[in-house]
Amino acid sequence: MNIKHYSKDDLDNILSVKGNSLYSDAFKRLLKNKASLTSLIILSLITLLSVFGPYFLQYDFYETDWNSIYLPPSLESGHYFGTDGNGRDLLVRILYGGRLSLSIGIIATLVSVIIGVTYGTIAGYFGGKLDTIMMRIVEILYAMPYLIFVIILMVVFGRNIYLLFLAIGAVEWLTMARIVRGQTISIKEKEFIEASKSLGQSSFLIIIKHIIPNLAGTIIVYITLMVPSVIILESFLSFLGLGVQEPLTSWGVLISEGSREMETAWWLLIFPGLFMVLTLASLNFIGDGLRDALDPKEY
Amino acid sequence: MIQLIIKRLAIAIPTLIIIIAFVFGLMRVAPGGPFTNERALPPEIEQKINEAYDLDKPLIQQFGIYLSKIAKGDLGPSYKYKDFTVNELILSGFPISLTLGISAIIISLLLGSLLGIIAAIKRNTIFDYAVMGVSLIGICVPSFVLAPILSLFFGLYLGFLPISGWNGGNIYNLILPVVSLSLPQIAIISRMMRSSTIETLNSNFIRTARAKGIPKRRIITKHVIRSSILPIIDYLAPATAGLMTGSIIIEQIFGLPGIGRYFVVGALQRDYTLVSGVMILYASLLMFLILLSDILRAILDPRVKIK
Amino acid sequence: MQTILNVNDLSVNFDTSQGLIKAVDNISFSIKKGECLGIAGESGSGKTQTFFSITGILSDNGSATGIADFNNVDLLKLTEKELSEIRGKKIGFIFQDPMTSLTPHMNIGNQLIEVSMIHKKNTKKDALKKAKEVLDIVKLPRIENLLKKYPHELSGGMRQRVMIGISLMCDPLFIVADEPTTALDVTTQKEILKIFNDLKKYKDITIALISHDIGVISEVSDTILIMNEGRIIEKGNCKEVLTSPKHEYTKHLLSCVPEWMK
Repeated sequence: MNIKHYSKDDLDNILSVKGNSLYSDAFKRLLKNKASLTSLIILSLITLLSVFGPYFLQYDFYETDWNSIYLPPSLESGHYFGTDGNGRDLLVRILYGGRLSLSIGIIATLVSVIIGVTYGTIAGYFGGKLDTIMMRIVEILYAMPYLIFVIILMVVFGRNIYLLFLAIGAVEWLTMARIVRGQTISIKEKEFIEASKSLGQSSFLIIIKHIIPNLAGTIIVYITLMVPSVIILESFLSFLGLGVQEPLTSWGVLISEGSREMETAWWLLIFPGLFMVLTLASLNFIGDGLRDALDPKEY
Repeated sequence: MIQLIIKRLAIAIPTLIIIIAFVFGLMRVAPGGPFTNERALPPEIEQKINEAYDLDKPLIQQFGIYLSKIAKGDLGPSYKYKDFTVNELILSGFPISLTLGISAIIISLLLGSLLGIIAAIKRNTIFDYAVMGVSLIGICVPSFVLAPILSLFFGLYLGFLPISGWNGGNIYNLILPVVSLSLPQIAIISRMMRSSTIETLNSNFIRTARAKGIPKRRIITKHVIRSSILPIIDYLAPATAGLMTGSIIIEQIFGLPGIGRYFVVGALQRDYTLVSGVMILYASLLMFLILLSDILRAILDPRVKIK
Repeated sequence: MQTILNVNDLSVNFDTSQGLIKAVDNISFSIKKGECLGIAGESGSGKTQTFFSITGILSDNGSATGIADFNNVDLLKLTEKELSEIRGKKIGFIFQDPMTSLTPHMNIGNQLIEVSMIHKKNTKKDALKKAKEVLDIVKLPRIENLLKKYPHELSGGMRQRVMIGISLMCDPLFIVADEPTTALDVTTQKEILKIFNDLKKYKDITIALISHDIGVISEVSDTILIMNEGRIIEKGNCKEVLTSPKHEYTKHLLSCVPEWMK
């Protein structure tokens, strides 16, 4: 029999080449999906505006102007989205709020992805008793009213923005861990993992080099679906006054202020709400599109 | 069946004890909490807390006493509201939150399932697209955006409905809170129900039912629904958790003096005993719902009993 | 002998995302009362869709044209409601996969009695009596006990017997058996085929036996249709076609059967 010997590098090359073409195909499919493409454009616009927009506007987000309290939106005054009760420009505040909401969305999601992927791959890869115990813990945590948990954490340790990242990340990892575990179990049965094992690669290296790259698609899909839920969570806390604190602002804070003052100034509620809803909807559409793109046989 | 209940209780009770232990532990490490020394409290409350938690005894014994008090339904004195126990506060808010929560859950389940089933049967018709479109809005518009907009429109602009207050449980005062609380859940449930009904409609046993010449209506009521409702039964507990957290916001927005309101006030004022009391109540309710949905599942799906 | 089913120029199309797919292409055949017609062909040859289309249980994206004269009624002209009054009453069905073809949350008794209660307006008592009768015909033991059981508590062979029982509840004229033995092991196969032979002999029921397995067909069928790519390749007396096939495809199909079975 003719046995061909592959070195570790060969194996990695074969895998990475296959991986790249799979993902670039998926990206092409994603761009063909009209809803996803539109969402991608809207989301990029909101992100770019939030990051760079404030530099081009004449007002600052903390600048109070007692002569222009509750100005309705107008082109002439330069307050395109109007002003609030302190005479601050709403547009600039929304963009600043967007920076915060989006970065909390991304950072807290990353925290939960790191926890979830580590936890899920370990449980899935090693299996057996360890897996049973680890998944039972997840099951128990699932049953908890986790948002209330976050609130208690915020109460006990004070309203600190870094803690907010951590607390949200710490409760959102459960779903990720479950999905990653399931995928890991199916991937570890594949031949190329057997091959790596027979080459004497350590478990750690196999997880890092072979399992996680193959999970990338699933992880990306769940990131796009997790970011909106994190943004909602942050806004929820901020709405209650337990999240982001003045002078900083986020969409949740703005919506909370807006809902209190909607009787006098509807724009304070509608515009931040619009930005938030557009972002959430876009992320959802992108997530759905990505799922279809990465797994075309399902549809 | 009894076996199943015992088995579930065997998981639920330790889980609850873990939650209580967590809350108990947090209260002890909390800065400015009831168990730290740098507090400035009126002596009568300080004394009550000392009495309530037997602070002179060893930690493990304190936890035991705390647990047994909770088992008897005593959540201790409020840390910030003088002269009130947590029980009294919770009891005063409970009827309101319960009315709100039960109406919302019944409406979400009934309307969500019904819309989902009809959308699945009338797949790719205008009705289907309309239901899915509205449910997309329900998913993308969080309740704290939806509720103010609804009250802005129906309350202030049209003037149809009161936008805040309990008013002794007047039905008009309930409409906006219940609608804003249930809409996100209706959205999720109708989507779930639609896809599970489509899956069931495509299954082999429905083909058998059609081949048996059973009228369409009876196929749906006798053969389809009992299978396609199962994911919704499993979703019962998460839905309740969603409604609980939603009600915290909704009670705030519509000025309803329910438990959620006390929770927020307690959280903002660092009323540790109140917050942990509400937490324990929520967790027990959730455990009960998980048990309930397990029992329902066993009733609806004969395959479960075997295990 | 009287013809019970006469199919003329039947075509079946499926509207898929890849365009219109022709599953059955302009076929004609007939079945006489009391005979068993075997329909052979590989998967995707259109044999199943032929019978699903004339009885109105195609999936939603399928449509059929032509004439299917059953007992002097053109089935393809009937409304869904009229068809559902024929299905289960005059035409019984047996499907390929007994594991998934019974409703999982309904006990065996209810799945049986619902047929005659709907079609014959029987009382529950009469329907139960009939149910016991048919379970006896399909040779299931401990019938009283069985009626209260759920499908997951039965083996594949038992479920397929229940399926046959369901099809017999209203004493149909005609039974469509779509790969009835494919999912079963060989011994169970034999027993199920024996039930078919009994039905033919004692009940005078006409049977359309759809199978990719020539061996199964040759055991029960009187006449045979060979189908491929939606067309009828060859038809005639079962023994004659199998011993002296005229068409290349039939010969090819037969060459796949092990020598000893011929």
